[in-house]
Amino acid sequence: MDGSGTPEPTGVIASSADRMVGMEHSEVRYFTSYDHHGIHEEMLKDDVRTRSYRDSIYQNRHIFKDKVVLDVGCGTGILSMFAARAGAKHVIGVDMSSIIEKAKEIVATNGLSDKITLLQGKMEEVHLPFPKVDIIISEWMGYFLLYESMLDTVLYARDTYLNPGGLIFPDKATMYVAAIEDGDYKDDKIGFWDNVYGFDYSPMKEIALTEPLVDTVEMKALVTDPCPIITFDLNTVTVADLAFKVPYQLTARRSDFIHAMIAWFDIEFSACHKPITFSTGPHAKYTHWKQTVFYLRDVLTIEEEEKVSGWLENRPNDKNKRDLDIDLSYKFETNDPTRFAEGSCSYRMC
Amino acid sequence: MASSSAAQPPVDNSPADARSVSDDSDSGNEEGWEDVEAEDDSQPVVGLFTEQVFPDVRSMLQECKEKHSFDLSKIQKDLGLDFLDTIKLVNYVRSEVKAGNKTPDVSSKAKFADNAFMKPVLEDDALLYSLDDIAEEDTEAAPGNDAERKVIELQENLDRLQTQFSEYRLAVQKSLADQLNKEDEKLEPGASVKKSPADKIEEADEGYFTSYAYNTIHESMLKDTIRTDAYRDFVYENKHVFKDKVVLDVGCGTGILSMFCAKAGAKKVISVDNSDIIDRAKEIVYDNGLGDVITLIRGKIEEVTLPVEKVDIIISEWMGYALLFEAMFDSVIYARDRYLAPDGLMVPSHATLRIAPYADPDFIASHISFWDNVYGFKMNPMKLNIYEEALVRCTESTSMAGDSAVFLPLPLHTITVDELTFLKEFQVTINQDIDALDGWAIWFDIFFMPSRDSIVPDNPIPSDMQKKGIVAFTTGPNGTQTHWMQTVCLIDHGKHAPKPLKKGQVLTGKIGYEKKEKGSRLLNLDIEWQDENTKSAQHWSLA
Repeated sequence: MDGSGTPEPTGVIASSADRMVGMEHSEVRYFTSYDHHGIHEEMLKDDVRTRSYRDSIYQNRHIFKDKVVLDVGCGTGILSMFAARAGAKHVIGVDMSSIIEKAKEIVATNGLSDKITLLQGKMEEVHLPFPKVDIIISEWMGYFLLYESMLDTVLYARDTYLNPGGLIFPDKATMYVAAIEDGDYKDDKIGFWDNVYGFDYSPMKEIALTEPLVDTVEMKALVTDPCPIITFDLNTVTVADLAFKVPYQLTARRSDFIHAMIAWFDIEFSACHKPITFSTGPHAKYTHWKQTVFYLRDVLTIEEEEKVSGWLENRPNDKNKRDLDIDLSYKFETNDPTRFAEGSCSYRMC
Repeated sequence: MASSSAAQPPVDNSPADARSVSDDSDSGNEEGWEDVEAEDDSQPVVGLFTEQVFPDVRSMLQECKEKHSFDLSKIQKDLGLDFLDTIKLVNYVRSEVKAGNKTPDVSSKAKFADNAFMKPVLEDDALLYSLDDIAEEDTEAAPGNDAERKVIELQENLDRLQTQFSEYRLAVQKSLADQLNKEDEKLEPGASVKKSPADKIEEADEGYFTSYAYNTIHESMLKDTIRTDAYRDFVYENKHVFKDKVVLDVGCGTGILSMFCAKAGAKKVISVDNSDIIDRAKEIVYDNGLGDVITLIRGKIEEVTLPVEKVDIIISEWMGYALLFEAMFDSVIYARDRYLAPDGLMVPSHATLRIAPYADPDFIASHISFWDNVYGFKMNPMKLNIYEEALVRCTESTSMAGDSAVFLPLPLHTITVDELTFLKEFQVTINQDIDALDGWAIWFDIFFMPSRDSIVPDNPIPSDMQKKGIVAFTTGPNGTQTHWMQTVCLIDHGKHAPKPLKKGQVLTGKIGYEKKEKGSRLLNLDIEWQDENTKSAQHWSLA
């Protein structure tokens, strides 16, 4: 889903570039990054992700049988093919990227062309062969759940095409935060700019502090319990709900230092006969979403059972709605005035 | 790769009239600024401890001294504050007063050492803009023993302050935009704030934030120690070459190479980059006290006007994947032909492009055969891209089925842009029995010769050259990996049936580089190869 993680250079492929005349540069970059197959390989090889979708579809053939299914952001078409194999009457896959040309070939190779219709274009602009659908499937999640996410597109599809009582796979997402000890890596990522070949690079340090880092966090780095901060129910959530300001409180499980907050999300397919879930947290098996790390300017010195509380605010950037502005405030109240800490940091995911 | 050709910020959708308004305000601001210098006495300024507006800075500071026991010049002298420190002091005092503390602690420099105090608390703070005048007045008032020497010193001091000031102004504009953005709600249009249209702020903001995206790139380049160490070693080990010279840094990025040159004794360094990163570079150069040696210019090297006619040395880190991806080298050649003195030096001075036969059955299995069965589906169409696009990845030296061969030496003092489109012959010998030739690996080596007369051997090996005291590095699989990795062109076994090759077998071939027509930063690669009885050819693009 998230195009930003690919180490490969992104380039504009002519076929999709032609369709993107007039789009903002950032938008073009977003869509064309999917033309490269490396990202699809990474996503398909993310076994936690792909297997969860497969199981939620294959284990619920009774739900998919004879239904009209819409796959929002279908990519290589894997979810569409799962749904077709599960007995769907028809599946419509929509994707903006030129990857859909490959998806068409793949669907034909697998003898599913009569069951699956693939459309290239924006969800808001394509014409579906059915006025309404019974089920929406989509793998829309981005880093930090919402970065470069397609959730707004899924909600548009829901409001426009989903029959009353129709189902969404998956339909629940919950975001969590926790605090970690990360001295060595913070030094490598942030402290690095204090002395670059003998030069003071502090202007770059300021920027580095505003950039959340997508990376894997080891379980042992966690200093506090996790705190769920928000749950999105895709059946009811609106685009406006995706900008939010929510409180959190974290309780230390041991005495340690806190260098950063991290965030992750869990996904639930609650429409399944037996609900299927997966987590992208540090305690769970690796996924390509990893975790998102927010370095704090301060280092908190916390003791077991003490609490840090604060607010997390997230909103799409005014200029580029695929970028996120995230504000994180924290207050560490303790009777020891030398350890008291309070602050707030602003981040931008772009 | 340096980022001189980096993307422009996304185009704004604001209507044409809005844009012209913002342009007006920019130039208006510019003129407003000139006014301040010309007639500083008439510039009204908000008091440090009150909200009272004073007609000029002098009367305001007088009031601070008399009513609030705050003597700016005394504090400057006592704490030994330079220009930047004083800026921070002012912002520190203003922020403390704003927070309700009318007696801020100014007993030590550490109180306001934080760079956060670089951000002005007040927009258009006339006090900040008048600091050089204050400095001037102070020095005027100093007792004049060796009057003449003093005057020269003062003049130099003033020049330095003015340079520092213009640097600071740029930094202020950036941080101001940032600050205003954050405190958007506090900005009431039409109030005391000049009716600066939101567009202007947004434009500056956009530039500010666009640069964020490049932070990771610059981090990975600076942390590529093979690359950065080589430049540093060459510059620092050859200070005699740089002493009192005029140096041009093409695609300067964060300015690291420029600062190496300045530290090595260059008289002047001119650094050009067309990316937003140059604003950070200006701050960095300033922070490191090198603002009087290094001049940073934003723009394309083909379009900017340099303050000098000729330079003695051109330093540049222009190398892209497979050396020529991104075509930044064209700009370096342009700079050489336009600005380098006839006996001037290119740093680095030589590059070689190399090719080696590649065999890696494990990689083929995990990345190619993978598509044969994906969760029960055939995804063979996904394989096509793999053969059409050259891959950039780290390869193992054990995946090289033969020694590499140089297919293009690039003498940087003389090579022309036309020579960067080529078809060159090569010959390699297979050094192990393999079941199939899976592809070709391409990389480059870089050499820093200390003089343009230095001779480089035909088949230079970086490790051998290093033993002779020459700074050099390889981006090949035998050396420590760099951020350039290697470029791998996989052979489509569907079209060229795999067949075993024996140790000692000789393969001959031709490799061609050509810029893709659309977007000249992309490269087309063509390789033909043959053994005793089969001839094959395949095309790749590097995109």
